[in-house]
Amino acid sequence: MKRLALALGVSVATGALVASPAFAQFKTQGVSDTEIVVGTHMDLSGPIKSWGIPASNGAKLAVAQINAAGGVNGRKIRYILEDDGYDPKKAVLATQKLIELDKVFSILSPMGSATTLAPLPIVQAAGITNLFSITAAEFTYAMDPKKPEDRLKFNIFSPYYDQARTGIKYLIETKKPKKACIIYQDDEMGKNFTDAYKDQLKAMNIEQGTMVSFKRGATDFSSQVARLKADGCDFVSLGSVTRESVGILTVATKSDYKPTWIAFSPTYVPDVVDLGKEMAEGLYGVGQLEIFYEDTATGKVKQYIEDYKKMFGVAPNLQTTTGYNGMQAFAHYAAQCGKALTTDCLIDKMETGTPFQDIFGQAPVRFSKTNHLGSEELLIAQVQKGRWKAIATHQKYK
Amino acid sequence: MAFRIRTGYEGDLSLFKTKQSVISYGALLLALVVAPFLLGSYFLSQIVFVLIYTIVGIGLVLLSGYAGQTSIGHAAFLAIGAYTAANAAKFGVPIYIYLPAAGLLTGLVGWLVGLPALRLHGIYLAIATFAFALIVEEILARWETVTNGNEGMMVKPAAVFGERLGEWGLYYLCIAVTIFVIVIAVNVIRSPTGRAFLALRDSETAARSMGVDSARYKTFAFALSAGMTGLAGVLYAHKLSFISPEMFTLALSIEFVMIIIIGGIASLRGAALGAIFMIMVDPVLVLIKDKLPGLIGAVTGSAMVQDKASVLLAAPGVKSLIFGLIIIFFIIYEPMGLDGRWMKVKTWFKLFPFYKPATFRRQKMYLKSERGR
Repeated sequence: MKRLALALGVSVATGALVASPAFAQFKTQGVSDTEIVVGTHMDLSGPIKSWGIPASNGAKLAVAQINAAGGVNGRKIRYILEDDGYDPKKAVLATQKLIELDKVFSILSPMGSATTLAPLPIVQAAGITNLFSITAAEFTYAMDPKKPEDRLKFNIFSPYYDQARTGIKYLIETKKPKKACIIYQDDEMGKNFTDAYKDQLKAMNIEQGTMVSFKRGATDFSSQVARLKADGCDFVSLGSVTRESVGILTVATKSDYKPTWIAFSPTYVPDVVDLGKEMAEGLYGVGQLEIFYEDTATGKVKQYIEDYKKMFGVAPNLQTTTGYNGMQAFAHYAAQCGKALTTDCLIDKMETGTPFQDIFGQAPVRFSKTNHLGSEELLIAQVQKGRWKAIATHQKYK
Repeated sequence: MAFRIRTGYEGDLSLFKTKQSVISYGALLLALVVAPFLLGSYFLSQIVFVLIYTIVGIGLVLLSGYAGQTSIGHAAFLAIGAYTAANAAKFGVPIYIYLPAAGLLTGLVGWLVGLPALRLHGIYLAIATFAFALIVEEILARWETVTNGNEGMMVKPAAVFGERLGEWGLYYLCIAVTIFVIVIAVNVIRSPTGRAFLALRDSETAARSMGVDSARYKTFAFALSAGMTGLAGVLYAHKLSFISPEMFTLALSIEFVMIIIIGGIASLRGAALGAIFMIMVDPVLVLIKDKLPGLIGAVTGSAMVQDKASVLLAAPGVKSLIFGLIIIFFIIYEPMGLDGRWMKVKTWFKLFPFYKPATFRRQKMYLKSERGR
């Protein structure tokens, strides 16, 4: 027993001496003469699989298209997809597997906040890039000047905070409402929206209106809507997800209350119109790209819908574009490095600020040495005759 | 069959019953100590998660397997340990202080949760622990000054004497804590406390009439189990380096219960085997998904079959399906869990060629406790 304790003590002490290594250089792996290996983990079987499956399909379509066109400077992309089930523990293991066993060049479009954040130190310690995480959290692009490894993070998805400030600013300027209010879900997402709401009104020197909340999963919104109506709110921000947004609109329509509504990316989806029907008419939305419809799409978007249907047998939704754009943006910047593709080169090329233009008409993605969030411009859309229609593009609050 | 002949009290007092077990556990410890020199960090991470799950599993074996109390709220104890570690590390407290402190704090909370257990049994107790887990989850989301709410919080790397514990440091710490927990568990089980647990599990009335203080032992079982889970929580927080309330949900509690169901409900070795199963199945299935299509292609010599196989295996949900089938298989054909299977295989080799399946069939069951033996 004593010897056992001694052995333990010694092993723990030696373990303690092996401090975590200081940050090494950026590393390049997974690039051969014929292929580039990129890996990701998404939720394919857990609570957010309705995002993971279409997004990964979008990425697969992009890989097929890029490889059919000859690859990136003659190198084919090999895409390795792991299922993390929205479990950070599995995400950590999947990331280590991708880095060590598959030797991926980059972790591309991992999904979810906790599932991206938990493995992020591992990716950074390995010296490879963590690109375009499908989450709007700040840590996916924020940089600490003291940490060189923070240069490895890039993102192209606009945070909720930016969306809300941009949308509220646009509508206050154009509609000049008497009282701006907000109804929000009482959680982290809602907090992002209320922070943006408060900051934007303060920046514009406008008095705060009514703020009402509801619990996640609520189905009855009559008291909240009654209060908004009684307080005379003529402009209401919806800090809610599709189902709740439709519930709120339904109650408002019943009580003949018609303020200007604005919704952000959780509600800026085709489903809100399908579910809300004429109640959604006139609703404003803020997002990154214009929602496409199969029968009215033209040009490259039409081709995209057709290719996607051919490959997966179903029509693509908005989620598919997140994976598709991530892969296309990666190929775009990797191609600029030519034959000498390294992690350093990729970061340098991305930081030069050359724009990446997607096929969906989104504002061009642009990075710089100090800004690793590629998209700062958003678009404002409105439901007109049962369809989302872009009414203003290139919007920002700054 | 080898029979133990005791010639002195040392034989009864020693942790290991036979020479062989000293050798085999020593070899296991040695293998674990040298593992970092041989394995990459992917495999090291798997071992760390196995060790963390083993600690939780042992806590649950003591509570459910020995004391007979159900809990589907152990994720909450893990969360309390994890958030204690995250906050202590934030203020620069060294890990050798907050690791035991987190264990004690979680143990205290476990003791409080154990109080309603005095009046509740079976499914009602399970619901009470579930309610507790929901309350903790809600507190984690609301108490933003401490937990940073739903946004989650980063956990600073563990530090000892100002020196950061690296990947290896954390690995050895996990081994040390696991051994500590096992030694405690072994000693509790063979002490009067452990016998009181067994008595309470089998018949509370009988135990009480023999003078066992049921209130004291039930709350103690909860405190002990929770404290162990709290220790695991500290390690879990450092391993993931980021924690948020959505990580400590009912799903995690159920995973913990599955550890002991798969491993064997009243066996410490079962807890370790169950933990290995819960953690390793996923990476193994991933490996199968990657390698099997190539193998099938090589065997059948057809690229089309290989493509079909890889599409089928990569289809979302296939992993969950295989996982589910394995569990159903175990519950139907091996109710004693992996530990039961282990003992049967061992006996088969020991008795070869005289092994009979009936060896493990009970002729008569007098007490519930005999099902766990």
